[in-house]
Amino acid sequence: MKEKFEPNIIGFLCNWCSYAGADLAGTSRIQYPPNLKVIRVMCSGRVNPIFVINALQQGADGVLIGGCHPGDCHYERGNYLARRRMAVLKKLLEHTGIDPNRVRMTWVSAAEGHKFAEVVKEVTEDIRKLGPMQNFKRENKW
Amino acid sequence: MDKMILAKNALQKFIDELLKKNKVYAPIKNDETVLFEEIKKPSEMTLDYINSEYPPKALMLNQTETLFKYIPGTKGKIEPVNMDEDKIIFGIRPCDAKSFAILDHVFKSDFEDPYFLTKRKNTTLIGLSCIEPGVNCFCTSFDDSPASSKDLDILLTDIGDKYYVEVFTDKGRKLANTASKLFKPATESDAKKKKDAEKKAIDAIKRVQKTENIAEKLDKIFDNKYWKEVAAKCVGCGTCTYLCPTCHCFDIQDESTLTKGARIRVWDTCMNPEYTLHASGYNPRPARTNRVRNRVYHKYNYYPKNFDVIACVGCGRCIDLCPVNIDIIDVVTTAGEVKP
Amino acid sequence: MVDEKELRDLVKKTVKRDDVKYVVGYEKGTYGFQVTPCFAYKPEDADKFVFSPLCVHNLVVFPMLEEKPPLRKGEQPDSRKVGVVVKGCDSRAIIQIIQEKGLDRDKVVIIGIPCTGVIDPKKIKAKFPGQVKNVEIKDDNDKFAITINGKTHNIAKDELMPDKCLTCEYPTPVLYDILIGKEIKSNKKEDYKKVTSFEKKSLKEKWQYWEKQFEKCIRCYACRNSCPLCYCKECMVDQLDPQWVRRTVDVSENTAWNIMRAFHLAGRCIGCGQCERVCPMDLPLMELNKKIEKDIKELFEYTPGINAEEKPLLAMFKPDDPEDFIL
Repeated sequence: MKEKFEPNIIGFLCNWCSYAGADLAGTSRIQYPPNLKVIRVMCSGRVNPIFVINALQQGADGVLIGGCHPGDCHYERGNYLARRRMAVLKKLLEHTGIDPNRVRMTWVSAAEGHKFAEVVKEVTEDIRKLGPMQNFKRENKW
Repeated sequence: MDKMILAKNALQKFIDELLKKNKVYAPIKNDETVLFEEIKKPSEMTLDYINSEYPPKALMLNQTETLFKYIPGTKGKIEPVNMDEDKIIFGIRPCDAKSFAILDHVFKSDFEDPYFLTKRKNTTLIGLSCIEPGVNCFCTSFDDSPASSKDLDILLTDIGDKYYVEVFTDKGRKLANTASKLFKPATESDAKKKKDAEKKAIDAIKRVQKTENIAEKLDKIFDNKYWKEVAAKCVGCGTCTYLCPTCHCFDIQDESTLTKGARIRVWDTCMNPEYTLHASGYNPRPARTNRVRNRVYHKYNYYPKNFDVIACVGCGRCIDLCPVNIDIIDVVTTAGEVKP
Repeated sequence: MVDEKELRDLVKKTVKRDDVKYVVGYEKGTYGFQVTPCFAYKPEDADKFVFSPLCVHNLVVFPMLEEKPPLRKGEQPDSRKVGVVVKGCDSRAIIQIIQEKGLDRDKVVIIGIPCTGVIDPKKIKAKFPGQVKNVEIKDDNDKFAITINGKTHNIAKDELMPDKCLTCEYPTPVLYDILIGKEIKSNKKEDYKKVTSFEKKSLKEKWQYWEKQFEKCIRCYACRNSCPLCYCKECMVDQLDPQWVRRTVDVSENTAWNIMRAFHLAGRCIGCGQCERVCPMDLPLMELNKKIEKDIKELFEYTPGINAEEKPLLAMFKPDDPEDFIL
């Protein structure tokens, strides 16, 4: 039987909301796919698009950025700026032929453990359908 | 025989013969850009070019070169790279071939660089004479000709309906013999046609750079404010250094994943301020004036003093592609006339 | 046509000022169709200034180039103003930089020239190859009058102008201290034709196209250095700790570099086309920049380089920014 493709997804989760939400999903023993590899950042506004590109280069099949709901950012406006940035980045990726659905964004608050699990399930399945990221992966074949 | 004729319609067959047992690099067109890349069939090659923008030095001194591979850790080891690979470069111009001879000095002087020298040993150069030089070509300023060479193995010159083939080295003879039935001996009239084509090409080169005693003249004007004027326009982009067939500066870095890595050598440019930035933060060439002056001196003063040859072949790529029209012909000719 | 005498007199007047270090403009190049930047430090230098349809360069890159030559003890750095000759598109670069606080308005003296279109050097070299001697070019309404070896060729402007001129909405500088000539109004509109037709391709086709282009890139960074808006003190590719973009030149790193540079110019690129013009490997860089320009107009109603008081695109937000892509 053919092995199912397990996507590698990097998650940049903001410390105050989405990381806490992920933590809540864990303590509540909610089951969700193990494909998400979490990197905690203090705010979703910390996420520089170069992180996203670098993750895709190093072999990630998808990237998820989790932030606080608009208006709830611990640093007042970081999530608003991230929202603008990611909108521009996704359009640019689409123009160069990289599927913009590989880069996803979500608002998850610290109380939304269930929502976090649902988001991870949805993103994992979407990226599983898209297949492995080949476009500009680092070959490392020196 | 060292002087032969190859009919124009036999050129494809010649390339086919070469491809049977060798790796062949020839000029190809990617949209409008001409590049020297490996070809698998003669039809991939183009002969419609004056010269490639990207120099064929990339085939001897790769832009990214693996020096060795390694596996880190206590059980790690170093794996040397395989450098034994024969190849042929077809369609290279005499100026670019001279650039390899100029680069030889650097890579042989204090330490013999195995990467560059092995490639030199294993590469056969089949040149194509320039019968229509470019606007900014000035190889004649160094007493070179667009249709002769001391640094090629074989040289083809277009004399109408056939190519005049000159074989200079044993490497070239060995290669020509593999396709000997395609060649015919050259006659007196063929030799005359080649001489005429060469003269026509030399006359077509209009621009002249005055390089008489340039090394001594430059010695006297190092601190002259002329260099500030020249460098004012420079934006420090590095295009000239990447396209120059004799520029050879490089940087060495380690790249790795968690489980394996390699030490690589990449082209670097002296036009970048970081090139001379010390770890202390001090920079001996802080301004563009210093860097532009250094580039001119390296080619026209330091190199002739060390190795007796000006490190410029007159290909004109830097003049064609400098975004702000810094013209090395004018810069050096005027520098020779500046009063110290 | 611009009155070159008026230009030279004005530059002379500007250079004579005590508070101006130098004025940068255009002068005749060294061969063929070349025009090169000219620096006037003394009034006599102004006699070299020209303005013709060959003046395609964006000179705003020069006031932005950091030069810190070592100073003698007690010597103060020269902080006088810099004069710069700008066309319509170039002036937008100055406005954008002022908007980002990269330059003070009172550090530049802007000499504006209303522009009726310039010539793309690649197109004219293709039409008249092998030009060594300098060439006279005059502006003639909707044609360029090109005089080579005594013979004048009248060629329609649309054939020789770069893409930016065909859809130019700002021929007159938007910001200037002095204007040479009369203001010109444009009835052209930016329609993003190339971008829209490329958008229709499938993702696979798009990637095939860009992979072929990124393979050519040699990472010379000519695009970065000649862009007036790329003035970061430490560029992301020069960072070593951490190293985001490796020094290796292959499709992976080249893609990362080109995508990130286009992103860093989002909301800042004013479309002068300098990057595409200087690229030695003919990468179609403006296609990426134009795409972003179109998107930010649609998504955020923002046009860079028009209003110096506005806040930069990615440094501000609206509560109702589009978020249909957010789960």
